[in-house]
Amino acid sequence: MSDFLNAYSIQTWLESCPQGYLMGTEYGHGPDERELALLVENPVLHEDAIRGTVQLVVGERCALAASSGLINAAPDEASKRFLATQTLDEARHVEIFTHRLYDLGVKKQELESVIGRYANPNLVKFAEVLLEKVDGKDFVAGVVGQNVILEGMAFSVFEMMYAMNKEMNPKFAHTLSGTIADERRHVGFGENRIGSLIKEHPEKRAEIERMQKDMSYFMLATFADAFRQTQAPAELERLGIERQHADYQGSDLGVMAPEQMEHLLADTVLKEFKTRLGRIGIQYQTPAMPA
Amino acid sequence: MAGPRPVAPSGDVHDLPPELFYEEVHSFEFWFQAVEGYLSGTTWGHRPDVAEAPLSDADRDRLVTALCNYCLGEMAALEGASGLIAIAPNRLAKVFLSTQVADEGRHLEVFHHRLRDLGVGDPEAEVARRASRSLLLFRRRLLELVAGKDWEAAIFAQNVILESLEFAVFRNHAQTADPVTAEVLRLVIKDERRHVGFGENELGRRLAVAPHIRARLGQTRKELDHLVFDTLAETARVLGVARDDEERLGRAYLESVERLGLGV
Repeated sequence: MSDFLNAYSIQTWLESCPQGYLMGTEYGHGPDERELALLVENPVLHEDAIRGTVQLVVGERCALAASSGLINAAPDEASKRFLATQTLDEARHVEIFTHRLYDLGVKKQELESVIGRYANPNLVKFAEVLLEKVDGKDFVAGVVGQNVILEGMAFSVFEMMYAMNKEMNPKFAHTLSGTIADERRHVGFGENRIGSLIKEHPEKRAEIERMQKDMSYFMLATFADAFRQTQAPAELERLGIERQHADYQGSDLGVMAPEQMEHLLADTVLKEFKTRLGRIGIQYQTPAMPA
Repeated sequence: MAGPRPVAPSGDVHDLPPELFYEEVHSFEFWFQAVEGYLSGTTWGHRPDVAEAPLSDADRDRLVTALCNYCLGEMAALEGASGLIAIAPNRLAKVFLSTQVADEGRHLEVFHHRLRDLGVGDPEAEVARRASRSLLLFRRRLLELVAGKDWEAAIFAQNVILESLEFAVFRNHAQTADPVTAEVLRLVIKDERRHVGFGENELGRRLAVAPHIRARLGQTRKELDHLVFDTLAETARVLGVARDDEERLGRAYLESVERLGLGV
């Protein structure tokens, strides 16, 4: 175990993040990069950008609470040290997405009320299922919920957003690319460390599978709300701005309707869950489909 | 629009207006710039080209005992700081504590590696074997305060008492240690300075508007002081510190606590 955990040491983290892909960035992007003017000036696109970014802040706040809460439940020092780097990664994500809200014009004193107004209730419930395990100091369920389910979802969502923003909004795409690199490491730790613990505690399987099913349901409900609420494609069409081609999972997001994007994202994440859970010996449970 | 990071006309972060100052010094960005400066090019907490000095068996054994107790202190700090994130009153405090969690994890890691360099095969088992009883009790009490969600008392125990104790001990030890250990300690001290600053600042602001907290913190201090002094005495004995220096260590610790007006 200790050999594989060396890949997750703080030394490795320092070399790959502060001295690697984050070098020269400020709040996750180049110091000279600015938010797309259209997103700030057009009221429909502006509200859409704020609503989307609020979900990222809510998700990252949950990840910060979970990773810091799991440190005291970790059974070995090396896992505690990895979770220390993850805690800092998640805090960085909270900070950079909060700063994106400021860049979009949200005033500091309005931050919490804006988050309260736009936070998706299904995403909040998704977080509550996970944090209940963390509060109960359940390390195995907590790491599956955090590093496989939450991080797996975040990874796919960020990749889709990155594809959509790469050409149009390089500043936000740059911010996302750093978080994607972090999430990749977190998912890797979850799979590697937890497989052996599941073998040691087979009695935990049923409870973890139930948690996965519940979290997956709330995730799908969040996706459904998000894609049904977005007015961005219609507004771009009204303005006569052609959407840009953006490849994601072999499909062109630039020509897809919101509900098609929702299905593509949901299928991608659930397929990933199935694969990753299978690797750690957990039977994937098909969630109920939100109305 | 928030725009880029705030900069005071003088270039000194302390000249920023209070709101911007706290936003800046508690941020990941601030931490990132700071550690980039002094950790760049180091491996396991020191520059790779710092040469090992030969140690006698007795000196090596004393150093192993000291490092084991540093590991225990850092483990307490890691568990304490991570637990404090959940009860931190605002985003800035949560982000700062996250940087502290990574710092404490790094300290634990570099002390572990130093133990391995010195030939300790299983550092975790060695720490358990050589752990100071008073430090173990301190850790237990700190985690009780964190679990009890007592923000002021827990941040006082963690970021003022424990960090001041470590700061005093590491600074003293760095003066006499072998070159590799000395460099590891000097870089750890740079982090501890930030942690003590956060604790003093956070509590100083709270004491200014809610002086009744003072009595509760005074009680926490009374409860923990004897554990701190027992730990200091044990460490001084292990490191072979002269009586005068031991008293100086005690005074350095007391000065940090008394800066908050919590003298007994």
